[in-house]
Amino acid sequence: MTTGISSIALAAFAVALLPAVALAASVNPVLIKNATILTVSHGVIRNGSILVRDGKIAEVGQNIAAPAGATVIDASGQFIMPGIIDAHSHIACDIFHETTLPVTSMTAIEDAINPTDIAIYRELAGGVTAVNIAHGSGNPVGGMDATIKLRWGKTAKELLFEGAKPGLKMALGENPKSAADPPPPDVPGRYSRYPLQTRMGVEAVIRQAFTEAREYMKEWDEYKRKAAGGGRNLLPPRKDLKLEPLAEVLRDERLVHVHCYRADEILMILRLADDFNFKIATLIHVAEGYKVAKEIAAHAAGATAFADRWAYKFEAWDGMPYNAAIMTAKGVLVSLNSDRVPSEGGGWSWLARDAAKMLKYSNLSDEDALRLITLNPAKQLQIDQRVGSIDPGKDADLTIFDKHPLSNYAKVTKVLIDGEVYFDREQDLKNRGALAKEVQELMEKEKKAAPRGPAAAPPAPGTGPAPPTRRRPRQNETGEVLQ
Amino acid sequence: MKRRLVVLLILSVAFTLAASCLGQAGSAKTGAAEDLLVIRGGTVHTVSGKDIPNGTVVVKNGSIVAVGASVAIPPGARMIDARGLHVYPGMIDARNNMGLTEIGSVRETSDYAELGDFNPHLTAASAINPASEHIAVTRANGITTVLSCPSGGIISGQAALINLAGWTIDEMAVRKSAGMIINFSSLRGGASSAESRRVAELREFLEKARHYAQARAAEAPDTKRDLKLEALIPLIKGDMPALLSVSSARDIRSAIEFADKEKIKIVLTGADEAWKETDLLKKKNVPVILGPTFESPRREDEPYDRAFTTATDLYKAGIKFAFSTRRASSARDLPCQAAHAAAFGLPEEEALKAVTLYPAEILGVKELGSIDAGKMANLIVTDGDPLESRTQVKHLVIHGRVTSTENKHTQLYRKYMARP
Amino acid sequence: MNRPFLALIVALLLAAAVARAEEPQYFAIRNARIVPGRGSAIENGVVVIHDGLIAAVGANTIIPPAALMIDGKGLTVYPGLIDALSTLGLAEAAPATTPGTARTVAPPPSTPSPPGAEPQPPQGPEDRPHTTPWVCAADLVSPADPRLGAARAAGFTSAMVVPPRGNIAGYGALINLAGERPGQMVVKTPVALYTTFTVMANWRRYPGSLIGIIAYLKQTFMDARYYQQAWAAYRAEVNGNRRPAHDRALEGLEPVVAGRAPVLLAAQTEVQIRRYLELGRQFGLPFLLYGVHEGYTVAPVIAQSRAPVLVSAKWPARARELDPENPESLRTLRLRDRAPSTPVALEKAGVRFAFYSDGISSYKEMLRNVKKAIDAGLPAEAALRALTLTPAQLFGVADSLGSIEPGKIANLVVADGDLFAEKTRIKYVFVDGKMFTVPEGEARPESAPAVAGTGARKTNREVN
Repeated sequence: MTTGISSIALAAFAVALLPAVALAASVNPVLIKNATILTVSHGVIRNGSILVRDGKIAEVGQNIAAPAGATVIDASGQFIMPGIIDAHSHIACDIFHETTLPVTSMTAIEDAINPTDIAIYRELAGGVTAVNIAHGSGNPVGGMDATIKLRWGKTAKELLFEGAKPGLKMALGENPKSAADPPPPDVPGRYSRYPLQTRMGVEAVIRQAFTEAREYMKEWDEYKRKAAGGGRNLLPPRKDLKLEPLAEVLRDERLVHVHCYRADEILMILRLADDFNFKIATLIHVAEGYKVAKEIAAHAAGATAFADRWAYKFEAWDGMPYNAAIMTAKGVLVSLNSDRVPSEGGGWSWLARDAAKMLKYSNLSDEDALRLITLNPAKQLQIDQRVGSIDPGKDADLTIFDKHPLSNYAKVTKVLIDGEVYFDREQDLKNRGALAKEVQELMEKEKKAAPRGPAAAPPAPGTGPAPPTRRRPRQNETGEVLQ
Repeated sequence: MKRRLVVLLILSVAFTLAASCLGQAGSAKTGAAEDLLVIRGGTVHTVSGKDIPNGTVVVKNGSIVAVGASVAIPPGARMIDARGLHVYPGMIDARNNMGLTEIGSVRETSDYAELGDFNPHLTAASAINPASEHIAVTRANGITTVLSCPSGGIISGQAALINLAGWTIDEMAVRKSAGMIINFSSLRGGASSAESRRVAELREFLEKARHYAQARAAEAPDTKRDLKLEALIPLIKGDMPALLSVSSARDIRSAIEFADKEKIKIVLTGADEAWKETDLLKKKNVPVILGPTFESPRREDEPYDRAFTTATDLYKAGIKFAFSTRRASSARDLPCQAAHAAAFGLPEEEALKAVTLYPAEILGVKELGSIDAGKMANLIVTDGDPLESRTQVKHLVIHGRVTSTENKHTQLYRKYMARP
Repeated sequence: MNRPFLALIVALLLAAAVARAEEPQYFAIRNARIVPGRGSAIENGVVVIHDGLIAAVGANTIIPPAALMIDGKGLTVYPGLIDALSTLGLAEAAPATTPGTARTVAPPPSTPSPPGAEPQPPQGPEDRPHTTPWVCAADLVSPADPRLGAARAAGFTSAMVVPPRGNIAGYGALINLAGERPGQMVVKTPVALYTTFTVMANWRRYPGSLIGIIAYLKQTFMDARYYQQAWAAYRAEVNGNRRPAHDRALEGLEPVVAGRAPVLLAAQTEVQIRRYLELGRQFGLPFLLYGVHEGYTVAPVIAQSRAPVLVSAKWPARARELDPENPESLRTLRLRDRAPSTPVALEKAGVRFAFYSDGISSYKEMLRNVKKAIDAGLPAEAALRALTLTPAQLFGVADSLGSIEPGKIANLVVADGDLFAEKTRIKYVFVDGKMFTVPEGEARPESAPAVAGTGARKTNREVN
């Protein structure tokens, strides 16, 4: 039994055997040897080895001896880089969007995580080990996010990146705006969320929300003061799940990630954050970030962008692939993200490919380019103490490519998270037969049990089992779902 | 009298000289009417044959006139020094909507999908915008030719094969009508009876076109001109291929059956499940223009690399195929899509051919796709493998003219990099 | 047909013909096999019914002379079956269309704003959307519901019925499936608060998604507790203090906040089961999960939480028309194959569970599905318990229902064999001591509508 999971066929068994497997993995050290190690933090080590103990990188260097009982992975001719981190994604949840109100900070991705989403596995196959799952971009103030590691086969709780600072999504520009007229009752899909027809309205909604949060905090502070002073028969203020996360932002207990495109709205949100005395952690998409890179750097906001997608919306008309290069040159912490919305048959790409493109559109070195998808997003999500580079003490989240990761001819062969193998291409290839066989067997079994044909009544809609990952294809920012 | 003649003579000589100078200046600015161009010193990847290290390519009047290791360099030629660089044929995106759309979400900028089911008379060439920003952006990454296709309806219209340079469609077009686009997978879906009815309607329409052609040829009286039916005549005669967009294995079988019955030449586009029907495709010799390699599988249980390996399956079965990106805004991604297939089993030379020689062959365009004497001079000079993302296109030659790699994005780069 | 039997029929018919009020109140079923539902079976015994209650049960019980005799030779007497979650008896819930479709609630008619007026502000949690805890099923039941006959004919004598619509739909009641007047059917109310994760209004009004509904429920239960606190504080010192507002919805949640009625949460797949066990824990309220088809994967986890569950007896079935070129996923095939093994897994792990109909097309079908669970390893007596004593316990009526014991309500099923055997016919059913004869040649019973909330998964797809 391999230590770790490599396909859906084994996922169910894996969950059942989990305690045993996890124990085995954490007890045995792992030595990965003979590879070119791209540390991202301190250069390249040829013929390098990495020793993993208890899920952490214990040693990095050349000629490391395998301790007794170690599992040895011979990565000769291959390249190891830190596990790729996707700073902005929408995978692994049953739904990521509450579109009915302009402020939905009470909603939480964590409440709807779906650890059986096949998109998790497919992202692993692209070398990704950690992901920030965000609320959608339809609301000026969206919901609370979740940072997860792609521990395929584990439960929703076990996916959560322990200790990661929580975040809140906000959105500016075209997406949050909507028709101001009340919708006709029989027209599906249109809704009214006053006052949201202009960028002016977007700003006003955000300002109002944080002002309310400030008032809310004052009420609670007042109550606590009275209670501490021995007040009797005191009723605390009503706890408001919508305002709590905003209060956390104001207390620097929660990060803010803002979806934005145009230069002017980027400046607007930086100003607003300054007014309320909090920092923007990342600007997402930030298509015109290059126009105001100076101001972004001064605020010390991070930027997470696409490699070369543009022209899908009017506000993306000035999007261009030199964005990351200019922002980096002007001192902004830049990462690349996928904005992945899982879909069947939809467009897809790998972050490693996106990073490679940056070499064409900038003067970045290979290591700088890799940093865009490892250490930089780790810093933006404030998980860089744990992940983002290959350094002793960090989590053993490692991606192995058969060729240099910035080559378009490279592919991922193995992915480890916390020192356990979660993706193994060889194993994946072997499992395909087993999966097909099981499907056949179950179909045969059913045919034998009911030779006259299927049950008399079809399952009524809404009462049959719904595989959680089958969805109508959805569109992300770029409308890249091909049907 | 004599003096006037002399003055006239001097003036006319001066005028001619001036004109020729202006003409020269004009050609330097616009690249027009450049007679002679030589690229030398680089490794020439002909694609049709062996690579030529330290090769020379001579271009005259828009065509390649000589390729080789030791080719005579004609005097007066403009020289491109390709030492340390590589010369490749310009890449071809075999299915796109270049010039027919600008911003995806702004309907006013889209011209590729008309109303109605049967529109064979519509031509992409009549609506392509030569000033689309996507053109310059795309060619900067080495794609010099694109098949721009209408979509929508059942018979969408005629695709145009265009070079990504030229002031007007006439200057851009390699073939104004390169193929008839038929949205075959739109016939599917719903009850199988509805499906067979829709296929029958399509066949009826083609039958009408046949009768029309017959009547016109026989100059039958009272035959009113019907532009729609007329547009189908080249297809029926076999002078124009039909490009059928299909998706599932069932679509593919159905499309081939349709082509057999209608006796028309087809190319399949999209064809995600082509890997299921390699025997049939091989037997019927049907080429396939694949969509983007980078797509997620259609079903939960399919292997994660299902779409990545389709090209390899076709290659192993001996089926001719080409790559495409489908959309103007992602056309520059073509080399990345091709390389990704190579990451998953396709030999690297095949990946390159699938964006150069094979699309030209599939579309029946002999003058494109490789660096051979007699072919159109669509060439890129790069600092490495054009399928690798870090590679830069240093020089661009389209239809024999040196074309700038400047585009909206390079301009924005310079402008904002310079912001104090 | 034997003579005593014939005599009995005639007697009953005569009795019925005489006068309603003259219906027999005294029965004795003798020479029958009795499966009491608690304790061991009695191979040859007597059950005495008097005035709607079980007067005596035993092998050697004395039969009062006034009792109408029913010859139980070759017959088995079981406790009446309980459908643990249903809409039986609720006239408004009888479906006009396919059972199981969640009917969306029309939003309250909004008065059109006069020209020039401010646009309507959007509805928020404080508007209590799709929240109607003042609705009690007990107030809505009717003995005239035509589905009751079919349920009885399959051996069901009680059901826990709920108002079907809404995210907080209202309170369920434990009812008996017969009565002259509606009030006579009710055994206990309120019994549980029924909730669904179904998106009610096509994402035009909050909450329009699963994450919205979950956040909304958290807030609302918190508000309900706070409401009690606020009013208590106010009542302690009225003079000089501002009063809290009256809130019909929060008033209605008082039984839940006080712990008198558990909350029902829909959870079908493993992911949902784990998710809603956690959510129930976060609520800090007693709760049950319903659905639980994938329970076989996580039975020990459910056991650890101590939450009881209601298992849908409508096992997932294959669609009629399957496209051979579009194969079903392994996940779907596995669930269909293994769902019937959930009950035995729950039993082994020590989870308390009951079966419910979940809009199945017929109650006979429901029993066939319970049989599948038995075939998958569930002991027959555990299956029976999940249809009788356990639901009675879960809903706090075990003192009066769920087994054949003296003093309990006379709800009984009399069958000519093992209840779960295909060929067995049910002969009589007693509800509150009133005898119903099941006609020969079972009429095709009408469908019971699905309880709307098992459309839980629909939320996952509605908003896409």
